[in-house]
Amino acid sequence: MSVLGGGRVRPQAMAGVALTLPVAVFFVVFWLVPFLAAIYLSFTDYEMAGTPNWIGLANYERMFADPGFLNSAWITVVYTVCTVVPTIVLALLVAVPLSKPGGLNRRLRALVMIPAVMPLAATSMVWVIIYSDRGLANTLLGLVGIAPQSWLTSSDLAIWALVVMVVWKSMGLFVIILTAGLQALPGEVYEAAAIDGSGAVTTFTRITLPLLRRTLLFVLVISVAGSMQAFVPAFLLTGGGPAEATQVLPYYIWANAFPYEHMGYAAAMGMVLLAAMVIVSALQFGFLKGGDE
Amino acid sequence: MRAGTVLRTVWLIVAVGSMLLPVYAMLVVASAPDDTDLRGLVFNGFHLPENIGLLFGEGNLPTYLRNSLILCVGTGVLDVIFSAAAGYAMAQLSFPGRRVLFALVVGTLALTPMVLVIPVFLIVKELGWVNTFQGMMVPGMISAFGVFLVRQFALGIPKELLLAARVDGAGEFRIFARMAVPLLKPALITLFLVHFLAQWDNLLWPLIVANEQELWPLPVGLANFQSEVGFNYHLTTTAALVTAVPPFILMVALQRYYVAGLTFGGLKR
Repeated sequence: MSVLGGGRVRPQAMAGVALTLPVAVFFVVFWLVPFLAAIYLSFTDYEMAGTPNWIGLANYERMFADPGFLNSAWITVVYTVCTVVPTIVLALLVAVPLSKPGGLNRRLRALVMIPAVMPLAATSMVWVIIYSDRGLANTLLGLVGIAPQSWLTSSDLAIWALVVMVVWKSMGLFVIILTAGLQALPGEVYEAAAIDGSGAVTTFTRITLPLLRRTLLFVLVISVAGSMQAFVPAFLLTGGGPAEATQVLPYYIWANAFPYEHMGYAAAMGMVLLAAMVIVSALQFGFLKGGDE
Repeated sequence: MRAGTVLRTVWLIVAVGSMLLPVYAMLVVASAPDDTDLRGLVFNGFHLPENIGLLFGEGNLPTYLRNSLILCVGTGVLDVIFSAAAGYAMAQLSFPGRRVLFALVVGTLALTPMVLVIPVFLIVKELGWVNTFQGMMVPGMISAFGVFLVRQFALGIPKELLLAARVDGAGEFRIFARMAVPLLKPALITLFLVHFLAQWDNLLWPLIVANEQELWPLPVGLANFQSEVGFNYHLTTTAALVTAVPPFILMVALQRYYVAGLTFGGLKR
């Protein structure tokens, strides 16, 4: 910039400020102020009708004695682990053969996008019907001679019904991401491996997985974050029930904040969820980056 | 080697086939004549056009569809405009506050909506925007993802190109509109698509801010659809199918950008 002299910098600075001003105002009003307000509210007893009173750490203390919160936190952990691991493993098992060139694969890749592009709300309604008494899930069980189950109204099964749907839904998404990642890998490495007589399994574990590390990290981080924040499946399929069996933390926070108007308490639980997400993401980055040379 | 190829093909067909089974079941139930058969294995006639006609003839589906379109297209266009301006400026222009703004954008990317909805709701309430279109649209108008995407893409615009235009005497806004925007087109299309799909699926915010049925977009409408059509499973499925069609059309038309949007962040080395 200095090559052009001071006279050129000023219009650039003015244009820069003008072009970013709407976004800057937006982020201050709808992000920074609300974020600070959420921190403040988490230390108050704010209910929609009243005024906020400062109560220090009382909300945070209350949480760890609240069976509803502890139940939700535990369900969120189970739900996250049980959706993320199968989704990534299955997506990888499909993406590796699917990333190979070929006319059939190209057609199959287009089909895989269908579940990924289905809106989650529409998907959820379809799965409500699949899980209904006379729905597809019980039909398929009947074909192998198992009695019909009440998927969404049994407190043992409901969480697994959600898990199966979410694995199905996010698998389509991750197959696409992983396929694109696999296709971007350098072909020469594979040619060299083939010349050296490397088998399929060795090639996969020694070449594909390490080269795919960045894409895998991306998929892992977005799927863990997505599961920890999941609200829609519990809201649409089970309404958090039966008997709180699917009351994941985002649902519990929403229920406290809106129908019950315990805004201060909900804000505090939101902070804990956020802290958990930041810690888990940092661990994932550390874990996968640590392996790099 | 040959046996391996056959095995691989069979596995892929089985795997992709099971991934499509729920979609197939949706088509079957949505085409059913009534609510008696929900098994979703064999078509019981093809009554999809009648079912769609029923939903559009009476009931609120057209309203939900219209609201969703207003919401998604409206905020999508605004997001593209504002993100293009800010993303370009943050990548190519030096101005005071650039670093702070970038930190703000990255910070927003890491935030969970559940933390923000409570205070944002209180702000929207203060503004008197509860149960209005602007209340539904404005808080989700600009996405940190959009600004970030455009910025990353705009970093690739050669500095010499902009410098040449400046030497020729073009003003900064002219350079942005006439040179940068055309170069940013692929990123802007990707952004519109990602924004549209995310808004199309946004249940939480409209659920909180809009309690008048006239304003509901499709996800909120679908959540209440069972009671609306009298727990009519096959018509609910038809409504879900109708909801899935616009994103599907967009995806087919813009497939290249769709994959680009999904894989953004995952492939850079």
